[in-house]
Amino acid sequence: MIGRRVALVGGASTPFGVRPTTWTELAQEVGAALFRAMPELRAEDVDSLFVGAAEPERFAFQSHVAPLVAEQMGLQPRRILQRTELACASGQSAIRSAYAAIAAGLSDVAVAVGVEKMNLPDMAEANSAMGCVLDRAWDGPHGATAPPFFAMVAQRHMLEYGTTEEQLAAVSEKNHRFANSNPNAQFYAKTFARDKLLRLPVVAPPLRLGDCSSMTDGAAAVVLVAEDLARKYTATPGWVRGTGQYSDFHNLANAGSLTDWVGMKHAVREALRSAKIETADLDLAELHDCFTISEIIEYEALGLCGPGEGGRFAADGRGELGGDLAVNTRGGLLGCGHPLGATGISQALEVYQQFAGTVPPVRQVSSPEWALVHNLSGSANVHSVMVYQRGQGS
Amino acid sequence: MIPAAETGPAPVSSPPKKERGTPFLLDFVPLEGEKETRLKPFFDRLREGRLSTTKCPRDGRIDWPPRVTCPRCHTESLEWIDLPDQGRLYAFSAVLGGAPLGMESEVPFAVGLVDLDGAPLRLYGRIEGRPWNELAVGEPVRVETYDVGDGRFFYRFRTVR
Repeated sequence: MIGRRVALVGGASTPFGVRPTTWTELAQEVGAALFRAMPELRAEDVDSLFVGAAEPERFAFQSHVAPLVAEQMGLQPRRILQRTELACASGQSAIRSAYAAIAAGLSDVAVAVGVEKMNLPDMAEANSAMGCVLDRAWDGPHGATAPPFFAMVAQRHMLEYGTTEEQLAAVSEKNHRFANSNPNAQFYAKTFARDKLLRLPVVAPPLRLGDCSSMTDGAAAVVLVAEDLARKYTATPGWVRGTGQYSDFHNLANAGSLTDWVGMKHAVREALRSAKIETADLDLAELHDCFTISEIIEYEALGLCGPGEGGRFAADGRGELGGDLAVNTRGGLLGCGHPLGATGISQALEVYQQFAGTVPPVRQVSSPEWALVHNLSGSANVHSVMVYQRGQGS
Repeated sequence: MIPAAETGPAPVSSPPKKERGTPFLLDFVPLEGEKETRLKPFFDRLREGRLSTTKCPRDGRIDWPPRVTCPRCHTESLEWIDLPDQGRLYAFSAVLGGAPLGMESEVPFAVGLVDLDGAPLRLYGRIEGRPWNELAVGEPVRVETYDVGDGRFFYRFRTVR
């Protein structure tokens, strides 16, 4: 890594779910939650604000959201103020931008916040919004949204490797179970046994309702600071040690293999290389489980198992706490819901809280040192990765 | 510049205004008129039942979707080439709910990725002809063009068995 060292020093989240609030009210809520969670943080400390928001134009008919969010949160950024849009990875993109700004010396204390309000009176409008994440003019007219695309990914993985619906359900059951320990999760109070998951309605064959993350309202924020300021805010900073990103196509015709996510392998390799660690060094990972099949292929792309072995990896519980690697202890997108811009922020917050030892014991990883956060966006055509290390007195 | 298609009926330059229907900014189908796109020849060919794309005369490679510049050498002198009208299903699924605006009444509908016969292209599209639960990976389909209902044309696939 180059430039100044950068630390993740805290954060907060609103409850995720179908929320009776507006987009703007969510921005206020997360501001209040952040200052409650970090009493050491003063508004005037924050010199920069990065707002991850995927589709406020569609979901809230609002552009120029960065100054709006600053006002709602009670911030007056004086160095860098910007929105980051990368669909499902908009939040991760805000964090990467904040990291880059601080490492370069252009910011000392930055807030990365994600806000999304996806539940609308007419959900067909929301579905159209999701459709224009893909190539609107060429794939959109056919009825292209995420579920049928990832369903084809699942179909090919089943065809090529014998992956089963039961293996998909194992991912969903795990992540929903973790979400039962996360009061901010959309499905905090709902349990999903594997046999129940296998009876839920089919949304896009072979994917059932429990294989798909939800349309979710929510906001989350984290604070990143320059190295010399970390101890002012926390005793357990999460140091940014690595980052990587890769994009190899956009139109679905140019996807290549649906089951070998080459772009994720590139992004992971770059992130681990810059952190000077290997996959086996990781203690926890937040992987982008927008669909159950995504997490299965991500096990493979991360190098936790061989090509085609992700389904068995899931069914054998190797992504559980106490398995090969604790994956999605927060509850994942499947259990927490997926408010696009807030997801990557919420994942980073889980890493911070795991390092701080403040998550409920049922999902606490024992003395974690290394964590990886991954987001895909669109049709898995972009992969964004961050690697964090728990502070060891420096 | 991309040469215009040589034949075919003259299309409207813009879709006629609809009294009701999908609002412009939530309408997925591209604008096809000469005032709106440099790819008008593509849509002219669709009206003749021909699915086509652009080919770079320098390296001979075709791209999808059709383009106005080559992504490799950046020439603006691209050629039009007709694509095969037959292919095979590489993967498919269906939309059983959660359809975008204007497509709700079409649910359930099947979609798939089709490997075109004899061309290095795997196109995404609607699969018509049989219900999704009777489709099979590898089965043959053919290209079909259609009027989307307001004078604009688009393409889809239809089963042949």
